[in-house]
Amino acid sequence: MKSETVLFSPIQKMALALLRITIGWHFLYEGVVKIRKPGWSAAGFLLQARGPAADIYHWMAENPDFLNVINEWNKWGLTLIGLGLMVGCLTRLTGSAGIILLMLYYLCNPPFVGYFYSLPAEGSYLIVNKNLVEATALLVVVVTRAGRFFGLDLILSGRSRRSDSNKQQAIAAVGE
Amino acid sequence: MKQSDSNGETESATPRPIKEGKIERREVLQGLSSLPTLGLFGYSLCRQAAYEDAQDRQRQPTSEPTARRPAIQVALLGAGAQGEVLLNSMLRIPGLYVRAVCDIWTEYNLKRTVNTLKKYKIEANGYEDYREMLEREKDLEAVVVATPDFWHARHTIDCLRAGKHVYCEKEMSNSLEDAGQMVLAARETGRLLQIGHQRRSHPRYQHCYRKLLREANLLGRIVTAYGQWNRSVKPDQGWPKRYAIPEERLKQYGYPSMAHFRNWRWYKGMGGGPIVDLGSHQIDIFNWFLGSPPDYVTASGGTDYYDPKTHEWYDTVMAIYEYSTPAGKARAYYQTQTTNGSQGYFETFMGDQGTLVLSESEAAYSGAIYREVSAPAWDEWVRRGYITGPKVQTVRQDSQIPLDVRESVSPDEHRIPVHLTVPYHQSHLENFFQSIRGEARLNCPAETGYETAVTVLKVNEAVEAHRRLSFRPGDFRVPS
Repeated sequence: MKSETVLFSPIQKMALALLRITIGWHFLYEGVVKIRKPGWSAAGFLLQARGPAADIYHWMAENPDFLNVINEWNKWGLTLIGLGLMVGCLTRLTGSAGIILLMLYYLCNPPFVGYFYSLPAEGSYLIVNKNLVEATALLVVVVTRAGRFFGLDLILSGRSRRSDSNKQQAIAAVGE
Repeated sequence: MKQSDSNGETESATPRPIKEGKIERREVLQGLSSLPTLGLFGYSLCRQAAYEDAQDRQRQPTSEPTARRPAIQVALLGAGAQGEVLLNSMLRIPGLYVRAVCDIWTEYNLKRTVNTLKKYKIEANGYEDYREMLEREKDLEAVVVATPDFWHARHTIDCLRAGKHVYCEKEMSNSLEDAGQMVLAARETGRLLQIGHQRRSHPRYQHCYRKLLREANLLGRIVTAYGQWNRSVKPDQGWPKRYAIPEERLKQYGYPSMAHFRNWRWYKGMGGGPIVDLGSHQIDIFNWFLGSPPDYVTASGGTDYYDPKTHEWYDTVMAIYEYSTPAGKARAYYQTQTTNGSQGYFETFMGDQGTLVLSESEAAYSGAIYREVSAPAWDEWVRRGYITGPKVQTVRQDSQIPLDVRESVSPDEHRIPVHLTVPYHQSHLENFFQSIRGEARLNCPAETGYETAVTVLKVNEAVEAHRRLSFRPGDFRVPS
């Protein structure tokens, strides 16, 4: 595989693992906080949506059936993604799911030209905000398959790699 | 020649035969090396949870050791949005045990609330019928009623007669006759009835009334008052279709449809509209701070924005009250509109020596007082900590435009240094439960709630009448 030939120095691997773990920590804590808080709902966040997709978010908030699903998916999604990233398990899957979530948050209040967040933000943003930065960082985690660096994916990928390698050897042997 | 694998490790060009499923020990150790971060996370989470618990405990009034006192067994009657708000406050008050919850929306509200309580390790019994709850829950000492207005009287009176103390949400009732019956029931049974005008227990409002108005008389003679609650457009309340209440049960409890059940505040015969839902809180403050109920009311209002078929009560109301206060005549203007949230909600009292602007909200207008330039100095009150030092209003130095001779100099702004650090309703509920224990007096007993109900419900009458309506002194009292 092409990506298998990429060489990372130990320090690069450590940096990528650290990136994966810190993002995972953030997700996990966001999820745990919501699970621990009785009656937590995404409604408030969704209702103050602005930007091109605002109507969709408002609709989500005003549709109780859908809101219930969103609340559960959000709480458990954040938690599971966080866990996965922290221990480096199925990182491509959890990381991709994390990117989707972050982009949903981003699109809820995108700092596009002319739009601004309804609540005072702690910084100044134009198009790029922390959600987008975190999503991009997660993209790096996904494409470098950073779960293999000090993560369970190393064991999982080792198993499958060996399995593939043995299959190839078997095929080669049959060919000979 | 060496080639590298994905882990940056070098391997011989000729691969070693590998046994399927066998993983090198070094890989396993490396693979597991992230796991300790979970431990670190768990440790941090525990520390954070302990810190939050400690903060919560600090915020709760612990003037007396509460553990020694037996818990007050309380039930929540009406577990909708307002019931949830009250419950969240009750869960922060030590010495309470929420024994039962009652709501006719058993499929949703009741289930949600009972499950929420479970998270706090409170096993509350759920009921659809409050009579069954009163019958079965013999140990209940108090009931918190947060049902729609048109149910308040029936629920409150039956609870009082069953020997329970009652905290009933405002508006006391949508009918004055029913509200009067509630006052009588409280008198007859000798049980406590607190009406949920929670600003009466708000430390900032109490500070302003007791210290700034009564003791220091910082406003001098109050001549005008103003209040507003501007709220943004809100969609009607929906409901998860699969959890809809069966039609038969809706009818049994007086709701023509699920839409009526969810949006009862807009329907005549059920609620009183925004002037009652929102205005009632602030008009209550007019009466309290001005020291008497009004003599007259003039009002204009209508359903100007929403669909009148589903919004029978007025979405926009403007009312003017005329008062004969102990200090002299005063006029108060109040408006509520539900189509624009700009400038939110607050009350203003203007006297010949100062202006007080305050709001329940901590976000804006949380409390400021402005001294008229002709008023005596307030240094003494600043020294005592009743108000902060002045923030001097300055005229822009670069302004070339001279002040008009008719223009008064802007008064200096002082802040009111009293803030609420608990949810809005907690102090008022605490006052209720402390009163049950004999440690306090109710801040809004039935008679006060009735006076406010008379004052507020008359606005809707005045809107319909298109003329100035008068109150008779006897209107505000319930004869025995």
